[in-house]
Amino acid sequence: MPMNTFFNLRVLGIVLSSFLFCFCVRAQTSVATQAAIDSQSGEIQQGKSLLQSKCAQCHTDSIWRDQRQDARAWEATLYRMMGRGAVWSGSDIHAMASYLATDFGPQSPRVFTPQ
Amino acid sequence: MRDLVGQYLSKSISRRGFLDNMKATGITVAAAQGVLSSLNASAQVTKSVESSAPPVVKTFQGTGGACFAEQLMACGVKYIFGNSASEDAQFYEALVDRPQLNYILTPHEGPGAAMAAGYIKASQTPTIVMQAGAVGLMNAMGQVFNAYKEQTPLVVYSYRTDQSKRAGRDGFEEIANQEQVLQPLTKYTWMARGSSMIAETTRHAFKSAWTPPFGPSYMTWHSDYTQERTRTEIIQQSHFDTRMRVRPNPTEIEAAAKLLVDAKMPIMIVGDEIYKARAVGKAVKLAEMLGMPVTQMRQIWANFPEAHPLWVGNAPSGTLSSITWPKQYDLAINIGNKMQHNGLAPIVPHSVKFIDMRIDYQNMGKVMTTDVPLVGDVALGLDDLIAAVEQLLNDRIRAEAAMRAIEVRKYTEQARLLLKGIVNNPEWNNSPLIADRVTWEVAQFADPDAIIVHEAGSVAMHSFDFNPVGGRELFFYYGGHLGSGVGTSAGVKLARPDQQVICLVGDGSFLFGPHALWNMARLELPVITIVYNNHAYAGPHTRTIANVPSGRMVETGHYMGSYLGNPDMNMASIANGFGVQAEVVRDPLQLKKALAKAKAQTLEGKPYLIDVQVARRGIGWTDTPWIPPVKGRPMKQKKA
Repeated sequence: MPMNTFFNLRVLGIVLSSFLFCFCVRAQTSVATQAAIDSQSGEIQQGKSLLQSKCAQCHTDSIWRDQRQDARAWEATLYRMMGRGAVWSGSDIHAMASYLATDFGPQSPRVFTPQ
Repeated sequence: MRDLVGQYLSKSISRRGFLDNMKATGITVAAAQGVLSSLNASAQVTKSVESSAPPVVKTFQGTGGACFAEQLMACGVKYIFGNSASEDAQFYEALVDRPQLNYILTPHEGPGAAMAAGYIKASQTPTIVMQAGAVGLMNAMGQVFNAYKEQTPLVVYSYRTDQSKRAGRDGFEEIANQEQVLQPLTKYTWMARGSSMIAETTRHAFKSAWTPPFGPSYMTWHSDYTQERTRTEIIQQSHFDTRMRVRPNPTEIEAAAKLLVDAKMPIMIVGDEIYKARAVGKAVKLAEMLGMPVTQMRQIWANFPEAHPLWVGNAPSGTLSSITWPKQYDLAINIGNKMQHNGLAPIVPHSVKFIDMRIDYQNMGKVMTTDVPLVGDVALGLDDLIAAVEQLLNDRIRAEAAMRAIEVRKYTEQARLLLKGIVNNPEWNNSPLIADRVTWEVAQFADPDAIIVHEAGSVAMHSFDFNPVGGRELFFYYGGHLGSGVGTSAGVKLARPDQQVICLVGDGSFLFGPHALWNMARLELPVITIVYNNHAYAGPHTRTIANVPSGRMVETGHYMGSYLGNPDMNMASIANGFGVQAEVVRDPLQLKKALAKAKAQTLEGKPYLIDVQVARRGIGWTDTPWIPPVKGRPMKQKKA
C-alpha cells in the first residue's frame, strides 16, 4: 500500500472517528439538554397549575398580571403571602416563581388596556 | 364544709346548727369554734363595707356640671378623656373636689376617642370621651365610627356652644340639630332638654351603650344647662343598667346540637363576642368535643388559641372558601363573629348548613342563609349547646369526632411547619427591611402575654401565636378609620399596666393620629410603638391597581395617591416632639438592638418609638416614584 494511500486512510479514519465522537457527544448533550428543558417545562407547568389553584383562593389575576420581575423577586412576592395565610412549601413557591418569571419576567411584553 | 359556711353566712342555719354539723364531719369543737369566730369577723367586715356603699338612689343639688360628675361616678366611670372645652367650666369645677374622676387631657379629639375606646376594650369598664362643642365632635367622629363598627360601648358627650334661649341663630360654632350628626353612628343620641335632665340623659347613654350588642352613644345639651343649678336624682349603675344577658331559645339549641353531631365535617367560626363574654374556654371545649376545625374572619381580637391543634388559621380573604383546609365542610357554626361581608359571595355558601350564634341579631340572616339562629349571649349559649351536644354523644359520634380531630391535627401541624419557612424569603436579610422580617423580629421579642395593637394595614400578622387566655392578645383595627393605633395603645396600657403593649402601625396610619404619644409620655404609659415606614400608602396602592389593572396608571407609572416620600418623613423626630424617645432603623441588626433598648426604656416607665425603614414591594414601585407635578415656587409672580 502506497504511503500516501495509507496516510489518507488514516486521516479519513481520524476524521470519521472524530465525527462519530462529536456526533455521540452532541447527541448525549442534546438528550441532557432536552431532559433539562423538559424538567424545567414540567416545573413551569406545575407552577402555573399551582398558581391557578392556590392563588385563586383569594385573588384574580389582576393582582399580579401587571408585575414584571425575575424569579427571585417572584419568590419573595410569594413568600409574603405565607404570613397572610397561604400554606405553601418551598418547592411550591419555587415552581410558581418559575412560571411567573417565564410569563411575567422582566422581558415579558406588557399589554395595556386604557380604561 | 364550704356548703356549711355558705349556709351560715346566708343565715340559713344557726350558730348551734353550724357547730353541730361541723362536729358531725369529724372536726373538733375547738376547731369548729375557731372557724366560727373567723367567719363572724369576716361577716362584720362585709357588713361595714355594705353600710358604707353609696345609696342606690340619691337626690343631688348643684350645677348641671356637678350633676353630670355625680352621675358619671355612679356609672362607675374612673377616667374621663377630653379636650379643653371652656363651656364645660362648671364640670371642671366639680372635678376639683371629686378625685375619683380622673381627667385625661388629649391634644386631639380623634386619638383621644381612640384612647377611650382602647381603655374600654382592654378593661371592659365604662368611660366617657368629651369634646368642645360641634367643632371638637367633628374630630372625634372618625373614632366614633370605629366604635360603631366594632361595637364598642363608647359614651360620647359634647356641649352645644349655643345657649338654650339663643339657639338657632347660626351662632359661633353652632350647627342645627347637632345630636343628629351622630345618629347613624350610634345606638342612642339625645339632647337633654334641661339641666335637671342631664343625669338621666347620662344614664340612658350608658345603659344603651352597655346593653348588648354594645355600641357608642352620644349626648349633648346647651352649655348654659351645665352652668345652671338644679336638683336631680343620681342612680347607681347596677340599678339602671342591668347588663342584660339573653339565653338562646332552648328549642333552637337542641336543633343546633343535632345538626352538629350529624355533620361529617363541621367547622367553627369564632368572633369578638367570645372575647367580650370571656368564653374562649367554652369555645375550645365545644370544638374539642366534636373534633371541629376552627377559623376566624376579620375581627378585633384573636378569639381562639392559635397554637391549638384545631386552629386552621384565619380565612385569608374573609370567606370560608378562602381557607386552605378543610374544603369539604358540610356545616358551619358561627360563635359571635360579626361576619362582615365585603364581596358578593356570602361568607358561608348557601349550600352549607349554617348555625349562627350571637347577640348581634341585626346582622343575622342579612346575606347568609341560616338554618338555626341562636340569639343570645355566647357564654350562656355555649354552656347550653355543650350540654345539648353531650346529651347526644354516643360511642359512634365520639369515635368520628376523634378521627376528625386527628385529621385536623395532621393539617394544622403541617401548616405550622410550613409557616416557619417564611424565613426563607430571599429578601429576608434586606435593608431596608421587608415587613415580614419586622413582624417576625417583634414576635421573637414580645413578652409571652404581650398585647399587640395592630394598625398596619398592609402588614400581615404572623408568628405571634395569639392566645386570648393568658397568652399574647391582638387588638386589630377592625373599624378602619385610620389614626386609632397609637391612641388605642395608650388606652390599653392604662387599663393593663402589667402587660407589655406593642403598637404596630403603618406610616400612613401613624400620621392620622400620633398625638397620644404625648399622653404616653405624660402619663408614663410605656408603650413600644413600631412604625413600618415605607413612605407609602402600600395597601391602597395595591388595591388601586387591582381595581384598574393594565391601565394608564400602570403604563405611565403615575400613581396619584400612593407615595408619601419626597421629602421622607421622620417618625422618630415626630415622637421626639411629643416627648417620646425614638430612633430610625434600617436593617435587621439595628432593629434587634432598638428592640432591646425599647425594652430597657419601658422597664423604666418610658414609651419608645422605632421608625423602621421598610421596603416598598409590589407593582409599579421604583426608588424614586412619580409625584404629581405641583410646585408652589414656579407659580410665584411677584419678584422678591
